Amino acid sequence: MKRRTFNQSLTLAALYGAGESVTERHAEAAALPERPLYRSVTKFQHAPPPFSRPGEVTSVHAANSINVESEQVNVPVMREMMAQGMRSLTGDEQTRDAWARFISPADVVGIKVNCSGAPGIMSTPEVVAEIVNNLVAVGVAPERIYIYERFLDQVESVHYDRYVPKGVHVEVVELLRRSILRYDPDTYVEVDFFGEDDTRSNMVRMVTERFTKIVNVPNMKDHGAAGVTGCLKNIAYGNFSNVARSHYREKTNTYSFIGTLASLEPLRSRTVLHIMDGLRGVWQGGPFSPTRQFRFYPQQIMFGTDPVSMDRLLIDIIEEKRKAEKAISVWDHSIENIRNGRERFLREPGHIEYAGTLGLGVYDIAKIRKKNIEL
Amino acid sequence: MSIARISADTAPPEGFEKLPAPGVQYRMNVATASSAPWVDANGWRIDRRKARGYFYDVTGAAAALSAAEAFAYDAEAVIHTDDAGLKSFENIAGYLKRIEARPLPVLANIGVIDDGSESTGEILNLLARRNLLFKIVSVADPTRLNLNIKPDATAAQNPSMFAQRIRGQLTDEKRLLRIYGSEVVLGRLTGDGARARLHLLNYDSRRSVPGVRVRVLGVYSKVAGVEAPLQDIRSDQVATEFTVPEVNVYSVIDLAK
Repeated sequence: MKRRTFNQSLTLAALYGAGESVTERHAEAAALPERPLYRSVTKFQHAPPPFSRPGEVTSVHAANSINVESEQVNVPVMREMMAQGMRSLTGDEQTRDAWARFISPADVVGIKVNCSGAPGIMSTPEVVAEIVNNLVAVGVAPERIYIYERFLDQVESVHYDRYVPKGVHVEVVELLRRSILRYDPDTYVEVDFFGEDDTRSNMVRMVTERFTKIVNVPNMKDHGAAGVTGCLKNIAYGNFSNVARSHYREKTNTYSFIGTLASLEPLRSRTVLHIMDGLRGVWQGGPFSPTRQFRFYPQQIMFGTDPVSMDRLLIDIIEEKRKAEKAISVWDHSIENIRNGRERFLREPGHIEYAGTLGLGVYDIAKIRKKNIEL
Repeated sequence: MSIARISADTAPPEGFEKLPAPGVQYRMNVATASSAPWVDANGWRIDRRKARGYFYDVTGAAAALSAAEAFAYDAEAVIHTDDAGLKSFENIAGYLKRIEARPLPVLANIGVIDDGSESTGEILNLLARRNLLFKIVSVADPTRLNLNIKPDATAAQNPSMFAQRIRGQLTDEKRLLRIYGSEVVLGRLTGDGARARLHLLNYDSRRSVPGVRVRVLGVYSKVAGVEAPLQDIRSDQVATEFTVPEVNVYSVIDLAK
């Protein structure tokens, strides 16, 4: 609802304007994306990245990286994918040197996994374990490594602890759902989307108080609200409280909210590396995957420092699969899809381009340089 | 500040108004977090001061909440309840007895000219639920109140929209109280300019709220919870903020400049 500016002096008459109704507000919600008024609060300044390659993405594909029947990961192949991907990204000959461009032994590293679709789809434990192995190889003690997600029930089903060395932390932000205690009260984005009273989304406290670096490990998924969910959404919605309020009926506000969250310091500066786990993917119904009906197997992992470029490429991956399955485009913004029950939300894949306008990366497909490696 | 008494009678004493059971109803709708829980709170009814006392006929944890509500609003109350309610009442009564009396005037910056109608009552209810602190006035008082409201028939058509417009006109920056992190905790603020007392009522009496962030307009150098540790206390040029890590049925926070 738009706020109007009223005269603040004596007002005796009712403020309610005749004629406006919930129906009209509903119609308003179906209009093109608006940009709500955001207030970003942080004491942190932008810090230069340790290694940056705007517009560059390395994709490593291996047809035998995962068994599509059993969904068992071929660990040696996956490890080779990780090694070649990182070396290609940095240009180093040694894998350890590639990792050392981003991480030093003194760092405290957060690995932001995605478990919103667990146990059907999540940041694959074997992939996460390989990331941990590489962090340890460059000298980071296990006790300085944190695998983290927001919700306990999502993480519990994955058992990352079984795959990583002793000492590595597996942390959850909301031990009780909606608990605010592990969010930083001083670092937040404030916005009123639909007249809700709780207008703050606070950053995860581990990000502001503990981590010096973050490795982002999203999946390749369609998303009913955001269009697709990759690097940006995992970083944004995965690191703040009270984000579900951005959705009301078919309107999601993801167009502008995702980029706004992802650009808040220190999250922006501390997220130094994105590894998009596409061994599995979801082409419809994302971010969830309760059955295998809409799951597919891109069998690839993408590497980059530019979340916008990576997500731009993700759109093509999801779109191609959806087209093959005769599903509507993620760009389809027709309100008819809502009315006939085909879709629940108006999808906003434009959130990626918007994030590009905030300086988070390169969106123009003509300017993105993708290196493909086939194992 | 008196503590409610328990009664075996199911009928209210003479001159007492029977109040609905306070609590919360969760509405499991489609479309996520904008479907806020429905809070049944009586503070606005008590504020109308139409009766000499208030009667609650409640069960279980609602007995504690009823006692806390009456205490926070400085109202005489009688509660009829069951065995489970008696237990919850005893727990809260012990806490209430330990709270040092601190009679302070109600703090509000919205004045509502109350015609006593049901529709105005609904508006008062919605303001209370949004922690838009109001006081009932007989005439507008622009010198002491940022906003003065006299609801009319159009307001009655859509009280929710009307309350939202009041919020918009006041602006969130001028609100005396903000509560972040919960939709079921309502606040009542009293103060005299130098000191203030915040009463927090958790209307989901069956479970504690795992933390709320509170913002009170005004710069207070001393902030302390009564038997409730606080975290991350901050002040800027206009407001004071703090986190209450756990809100059981009722929490009291004292502030001083």
